[in-house]
Amino acid sequence: MDVITFTLNGKEVVYDGSAADRLLEVLRDTYDMKSVKCGCKEGECGACAVLLDGLLVNSCCVAVGAVDGSKVMTVEGFRETPQFAVLSAAFADLSAVQCGFCIPGMVLAAQAVLSQNPHPTEDEVREGLSGNLCRCTGYNAIINAVLNASKEGEGLW
Amino acid sequence: MKAISQSIRKKDHDPKIEGRSRYLADYNFTDSGKEILCGKLLRSRYAKAKVLSVKLPELPEGYLYVDRGDIPGDNNVNIVLDDTPVFARETVEYIGEPIGMLVGADEKEVERLLGEIEVEYEELEPVTDLRKADHAFFNYEFGHGDVEKAFAEADKVYEEEFRTGYQEQAYLEVQGMMAEPEEDGKMYVHGSLQCPYYVHGALARALGTGPDGIHIFQDVTGGGFGGKEDYPSILGCQVAVAAHKAQAPVRCVFDRREDMEFTPKRHPSICKYKMAVKDGRVTAVDCDVIFDAGAYSTLSAVVLQRGIIAAPGVYDIPNVHVTGRALKTNTVPCGAYRGFGAPQTFFAVETMMNHIAQDMGEDTIRFKEKHLVKQGDKTSTNGKYHFPVPLPAMLDEVDGLAQLRKKHEEYSKPQTGRCRRGMGLSVYFHGAGFTGSGERDIIKATAKLHKYADGTVEVLASNADIGQGVRTTFPKIVAHELNLPVEKVYYNHPDTARVPDSGPTVASRSLMTVGELLRRAAIKLRDIWVEGEEQEVEEHYKEPDFMIPFYLDRFEGDAYPTYAWGVNAVEVEVDTYTGLAKILGAYASFDVGTPVDYNIVMGQMDGGFLQGLGYASIEKMDYDSKGRIRNNSFTDYLIPTALDVPNLKVTLHVEEYPDGPYGAKGAGELPLVGAAPAYVEAIEQAIGRKLNHAPFNAEDVIAALEEK
Amino acid sequence: MVNGYAPKTLQEALEIRAHEKVIPYAGGTDLMVQNPKNAIYLFLNKIDELKEIKDDGEYIRIGAGVTFTQAIASDLVPQLMKEAVSRIAAPAIRNAGTFGGNLGNSSDKADSVLVEFAMDGCVRLVSVNGERVIPVEEFFIKRRENNLRDDELIAEILLPKAKCSMPYYYKKVGGRNALAISRIAFAGTYLVKDGVIEDISAAVIGGAAKFQRFKDIEKMLIGKTVGELKANIDEYVKLYSEKYIFTRGRVSAEYRRTVCMNLTKDFLNTII
Repeated sequence: MDVITFTLNGKEVVYDGSAADRLLEVLRDTYDMKSVKCGCKEGECGACAVLLDGLLVNSCCVAVGAVDGSKVMTVEGFRETPQFAVLSAAFADLSAVQCGFCIPGMVLAAQAVLSQNPHPTEDEVREGLSGNLCRCTGYNAIINAVLNASKEGEGLW
Repeated sequence: MKAISQSIRKKDHDPKIEGRSRYLADYNFTDSGKEILCGKLLRSRYAKAKVLSVKLPELPEGYLYVDRGDIPGDNNVNIVLDDTPVFARETVEYIGEPIGMLVGADEKEVERLLGEIEVEYEELEPVTDLRKADHAFFNYEFGHGDVEKAFAEADKVYEEEFRTGYQEQAYLEVQGMMAEPEEDGKMYVHGSLQCPYYVHGALARALGTGPDGIHIFQDVTGGGFGGKEDYPSILGCQVAVAAHKAQAPVRCVFDRREDMEFTPKRHPSICKYKMAVKDGRVTAVDCDVIFDAGAYSTLSAVVLQRGIIAAPGVYDIPNVHVTGRALKTNTVPCGAYRGFGAPQTFFAVETMMNHIAQDMGEDTIRFKEKHLVKQGDKTSTNGKYHFPVPLPAMLDEVDGLAQLRKKHEEYSKPQTGRCRRGMGLSVYFHGAGFTGSGERDIIKATAKLHKYADGTVEVLASNADIGQGVRTTFPKIVAHELNLPVEKVYYNHPDTARVPDSGPTVASRSLMTVGELLRRAAIKLRDIWVEGEEQEVEEHYKEPDFMIPFYLDRFEGDAYPTYAWGVNAVEVEVDTYTGLAKILGAYASFDVGTPVDYNIVMGQMDGGFLQGLGYASIEKMDYDSKGRIRNNSFTDYLIPTALDVPNLKVTLHVEEYPDGPYGAKGAGELPLVGAAPAYVEAIEQAIGRKLNHAPFNAEDVIAALEEK
Repeated sequence: MVNGYAPKTLQEALEIRAHEKVIPYAGGTDLMVQNPKNAIYLFLNKIDELKEIKDDGEYIRIGAGVTFTQAIASDLVPQLMKEAVSRIAAPAIRNAGTFGGNLGNSSDKADSVLVEFAMDGCVRLVSVNGERVIPVEEFFIKRRENNLRDDELIAEILLPKAKCSMPYYYKKVGGRNALAISRIAFAGTYLVKDGVIEDISAAVIGGAAKFQRFKDIEKMLIGKTVGELKANIDEYVKLYSEKYIFTRGRVSAEYRRTVCMNLTKDFLNTII
């Protein structure tokens, strides 16, 4: 590989560091995508989750070489979308954001759920968010917010 | 619902959900544009050893090492007893104890160099078995009535031992602190923390600067739950010593394994209970509470005090005798975790009451009901329950949510078949605010409001928003009293250079105590308000008049001004083939007084309740005979995921507290405290065994079923 | 300083594999936890021919680069495999994790590999010098040890169609409902015709650094009537009990034994 080229939040970027670098660190350190949080670096918490070609992945467990030619979306990009606006409003209505550290990953996980299944059941939402640990909320408010967003955002997903 | 309870959009919602909030690890440079050096701790490999020598590799330009020899002030971290060193003294007392810190520009290089440091130890015999521990950091005793007489006259005397394990706070943002030497010679220390003035006090001592030589700022903090009460003082001193020597900013952010293994967690406990029963009523309780403090005393004194004061539970027992000890083992020091000593003793007393009822052939719910304390009754410390005790009504509420009584009776009958069900109950309180006279004698909180000429008002206080919402609820209170839109009032993260000491963010006190100061300050400001002028008002804590003074030396008086109350019910289904228990429902009524924002309070209730359910079931952590914790990652220390619980069913019961703002009481810790006894009773019903420890996981279920 | 390889075709990948010292990178979910120092990765995730799921009449062939998420959505992948991989970790891991990676990293807790053991799965290994198809149980030696040669890559997992359509039994026992490593897992298939057991196979995850399957017991059961199994079920359970080896890991060996025996008996009861 000569360089690694990928689309980050809609813009093409070229990375010339090591292909073995963790996507998590590349996103945070090289591209200043600080919404991507490091919670464990072992794929066990979901705080660093991003959308890779529309699918949720833990960026700590992705080498940047693997995203050559792919599209990566973080909250820095997702926050510009109408889907984000609906999710953010739904989270705000239930005060579902507490310490906030899991939230960027959680919101992207919610987007992943809704983009595949615009009318999920509670169980389907729980399944979809099951890789994103939250220690603050007990999940109630988050799950309910996603269910509300699916109603409020009718037609968006 | 009161107007103040109507939920508003949280002030930190947008920056957090948009990923714009800056947590400690998110700084690229300091705010003055300087490069940040990375600090990593050199940690002890042994649970107890003399450190004979530390041999450093050749350090490249710009890399340096600090240890106790570099501390400008005093090598003691100000917590309670000040026995915790900044860096290890001649001996190390637990695996992972910081010996020194290596600092440099490149994180990977610092790691590499750290691996090349050679430490020569002389191993000593550690204590890694709580039952063999003999050094008590703290040893308390209190009681009332005549326990001996009650035992002598009893129809039957019951004795049982209960054990609980560690619990790790598992906040999603790991611990991290940063220190920046400033132009004027002051040291600026900031990071992920709960108590800016605790860190301030510790730094003043360790750096020997006095209070004016330092200031502390709380960055956006990704959860604390008690875990960032004392620890940031220790880590703050360490980075500050390094920054002082380097004369450059130094930041240390832990990795998850380091955080899980080497930072404080809930004290494991062994509680021995003895109760006398006469004519169908419990007439005496004698209990001996042991907490595993770890290697240094840190916060164990105050954790133990809260634990033993709660030891008789919510029951009216005329004769009480309690002893409590925090014992030293050569393991990581335990500290604060939501509930602060009470989850351990409530697990014991609730389970003890169940077992006595079962032995007497009585329904456990009715047995508890007939012993409940009432308004005007004596507390365990000869204080008084000054306000109504709403537990009977709350029990009815939970019954309505959970069909508690019906299912509890149904499941109490012997069950066969692969999957069996159980319903468990817990009834408990959480003393609101600091234990004893701490608020009056030690903290002496001050809060201020600063009004700017444009009519905006800034809250000046030192309480950290760690997710629980004080950046929203404080302004809400002030705006309410000033009749301002809430947008006109704001509360920034505290910097001790700007804010008075309104006390730490602990003990469920922020809203109840500091919120009330702010409410009074707002009234004061309203009375002197002059349009277009800059004005400032200040309020100081005053102990409520009704309180019976508390004397810690004999545990006498009102340990708390009031209490938050909880009733929990948990329904489980146990697969007897695998031991796996499915939570079918978790129900609660919580009385934290008036919610100053319904959603925020419900978020606290749900979140705390689930942490409690984790503590009850899957959150298992232990150390081996060498004193090493193996469950040091999210792979090996399991906390509940969204798939491990159904929607929690929580209702709020409001018993207003006249001295809290609009009737609010302490809230944050309560919901964790009662989950373990309710869960374990549910498992007991399902599998028909008498159980006495928590967590109780699938492996424990199978082991219990195998026991004939 | 880009130092990896991202071939677009399998042939290209095999050439690199033959001539360079590279670490095959499939989904990364396990590999990146360690991310060994100075690793040079051979990225396999852009090779379309490794992402196919096919039915060749005899086998369901799952490409090494097929992710668990992809398998769950497939009409061809047998239900037993779908059930097992749908319980792996959580969506973000299933979106990246692959069949090739799950087998290649030689974990004795790999949920898809358990099913391959139980279903007589084979693996097709390819190199510039040719290919070989061997049973998964021959490929997997023990934890962290397998038969992959230095110039080989895993191309496909082959599941015999005969087994794919059989009734099955699956139970995973982890520490919680998501993000959980199997402490014990049990996968079995069976076929009963006219009251006679025509086929049976079962494999377990239970520590001991391997997957355990006992074909000699299976052989004894084949040809027996359901009535005979019912009459002697405790003896068969005992046979298994004598063979299983359990070791202490995240849970005790005793726990594993008890649960595994319960599941073994439950499986045999299912057949009845």
